[in-house]
Amino acid sequence: MGEKMRICRTVLCLSICLLSWHLPCQEEITIRIKEGMPMIPVAMPEFELSEAAAQKSEIKSTIYETMWKDLEFSRIFKMVPREHYSYIPRFNPRAVNFKDWASIQANILISGQVEITADERIIFSIKVYEVASERFIFGRNFGGKKELSRLIAHKAADEMLKHFGEKPLFTSKIVYVSESGSAKDIYIMDYDGFRPTRITFSSAMDMLPSWSADNEKIIYTSYRNLNPDLFMFDIYTGKTELLSTGGSNYAADWSPAAAQIAFTSSKHGNAEIYLKDMKSGREKRLTFNPTIDTSPCWSPNGREIAFTSQRNGTPQIYIMDAEGSNIRRITTEGSYHDSPAWSPDGMRLAFVSRIENRFDIYVFNLKSNEIIKLTENAGRNENPSWSPDGRHLVFSSNRSGRYQLYLVDYDGRNVRQITAGGENKMPKWQKAPK
Amino acid sequence: MKKCLLLLVALSLILMFNACGKKAAKIAPAQEPVVERVEEPTTVVEKPVLSEEELFQQKSLEELNKDQILKKINFDFDKYAIREDMKAILQANANWLLKFPTVELLVEGHCDEKGTIEYNIALGEKRAEAAKNYLVSLGLNAAKIKIISYGKSKPLVLGETEESYFQNRRAEFVITKK
Repeated sequence: MGEKMRICRTVLCLSICLLSWHLPCQEEITIRIKEGMPMIPVAMPEFELSEAAAQKSEIKSTIYETMWKDLEFSRIFKMVPREHYSYIPRFNPRAVNFKDWASIQANILISGQVEITADERIIFSIKVYEVASERFIFGRNFGGKKELSRLIAHKAADEMLKHFGEKPLFTSKIVYVSESGSAKDIYIMDYDGFRPTRITFSSAMDMLPSWSADNEKIIYTSYRNLNPDLFMFDIYTGKTELLSTGGSNYAADWSPAAAQIAFTSSKHGNAEIYLKDMKSGREKRLTFNPTIDTSPCWSPNGREIAFTSQRNGTPQIYIMDAEGSNIRRITTEGSYHDSPAWSPDGMRLAFVSRIENRFDIYVFNLKSNEIIKLTENAGRNENPSWSPDGRHLVFSSNRSGRYQLYLVDYDGRNVRQITAGGENKMPKWQKAPK
Repeated sequence: MKKCLLLLVALSLILMFNACGKKAAKIAPAQEPVVERVEEPTTVVEKPVLSEEELFQQKSLEELNKDQILKKINFDFDKYAIREDMKAILQANANWLLKFPTVELLVEGHCDEKGTIEYNIALGEKRAEAAKNYLVSLGLNAAKIKIISYGKSKPLVLGETEESYFQNRRAEFVITKK
C-alpha cells in the first residue's frame, strides 16, 4: 500500500509541480497545419546554460536531446541536421542572424536556455522564431524539480505542437504489461519508453490494460482470484475495484462518449461483448452468437464498436452500432484477424492479421477501403494502439527474441524499439485529451 | 566336628561376601544402567500394496496433480472440438474421477502462440468447456468441474515447431479438492 501511495504521489507530482508560463511582451502567432503538408524544417542550436549551473550540463543535454527526439518523431517537424550548423556562425541568442539560419533551410528556429536555481530546480525557457519573416512566434518558461528534466523537455515539445495547431503528444503515457520471472504486472511509462512506473503488485497475472476516457483510470484483467476478472485502478487515489461478475472478463474499452465500457465476458457461457454503465453498474449484452465475439473497440465518436468474431468460421473484424445492431464485416481476406484499434480521427482501423505463423499489423482505411501493411515479416507483431494524434502506433513484437514494445508511424515508417529487458507487451497509448 | 566348624566358617564367609556384593550394587546403580534391548527385525517387511483408494487418501492434492493421474488432452489448431484420439484419454480420466465423486476439478484451457492474446482467452475457454462437457457426458457431475482459460500466457513448452504448438494447445485437469 505504501508503494502504491508513492506512485500516486509521483503521478500527482508530475501534474502539479510542472508549471509553464507565457513569456510576456511579445505577440504570439498560431500556425495551423493542414493534412498532407510537408514537414516544417526546424533548427535547434545547443541550449544556453546559465553560468551558475555550469556543473549541471547533463541536465541541459537531457532536455536538449529529449526535445530533439520528440520533434523529430512528430512527423510535423523535420529537424535540420546538426552538422549543417557548422557552416554558419555560432548561434547567439542575443543577436539572431536569421539569414544564416535561412541559408541552411531552417524555417523555424528554437532558442533555449536552461537555468538551475539554488534549490536545484530547473527553469527552462524557449523562444521560437520564424526564420523567413524574422519574427518571434512564441516563448514559454518551464519549471520543475531537476529529476524531471525529461518531462520538462516533453512539455516544451508539446508547446511546439500546440502552436502549430496540434494536440499534445509527448507528455502522453503508455500502459503495458511487463513480465519478469513469473509475475506479470501493469506499468505506465512515457511514450518514448522512459520513466516506467509499476501500478499493480500481484503475484498472479495482470494483463490487457486500457485507459478510461479521462486517462485517470486503468482497467485490466487479473487472475488474482483464479479467474480472469476485470479490475479498475484509479491512478490518483490508488484504489482498485473489482468490476466483473462471473465468467472470463477481459478486453475492456472505455467509451469516448459516455461513462461506459465495452468488454468481453463469458458470464453466460460464451465469449460475448457486453456494455457496462460505470455509474449504475447496469450491463447490456450486445452480441448473441454461439461462436467467439471479443476485442471490442469504440469508434472515436462513440457510435460504433469494432470487434472480432468467429461467426463465419475464422476470426474476422466486424463493426456494429453501439446498440449491437447493424453488424457488418470489415476484413474479407485472410483467415485470422484480431485486435482492432480505431484511429482517433475515425478514418482508419488498425488490426493484427496472421499469415502462416507470423502476425503483422495492417491499417484499413474505412473511407477508401485501402489496406496498408505496417510491419514487414519480422516475428509476431501484436496489439496495435494509436497515439492520441493518430500519427503513430505502439505495438508489441517478438522480432528480437522476447516481446518488446515498438513505435511505428501510421504509414509504416520509423519503427523504433522503446523497451528492453524482461518481456513487455499489450501496450495501450493514452487517449486523446478532450 | 572340626570339619563341621570349618564348613560353617566357609559358608558364613561366602554369605558375607555375597551380602557385600549386593550392597555395592545397590549403592551405585548408575554404574550399570539397565539397557533395554531392542529386537531388530529379522525379516524385511514389504511395503503394503495400497489400493487406488488408499493411494488417493494418502496423497496430497499437490502430489495427485504432480503424478498426472489425469492426463491432458491436445487440440487442433484454432479448434476446440475434442479430437478422436483424445477421447480415450478423457474416458480414462472420467473412469478415475467416477471412482472419487468427492473430487473437484479445474479444467484449464490453453492455446499456442499462433493466436492473439484476446482471441486466445476465448479459444482456451472454449477448449476447457469442451473438455468439461465431454466429461459430463461420461457421467461426471458438472457442478464439481470449473473451467479457466489462460489463453497463450502459460505455454507448456517453448519453441516454434509444430510439435511445440501442438503440446501447448491443450486442456489440463487440475484436482482442486478431494
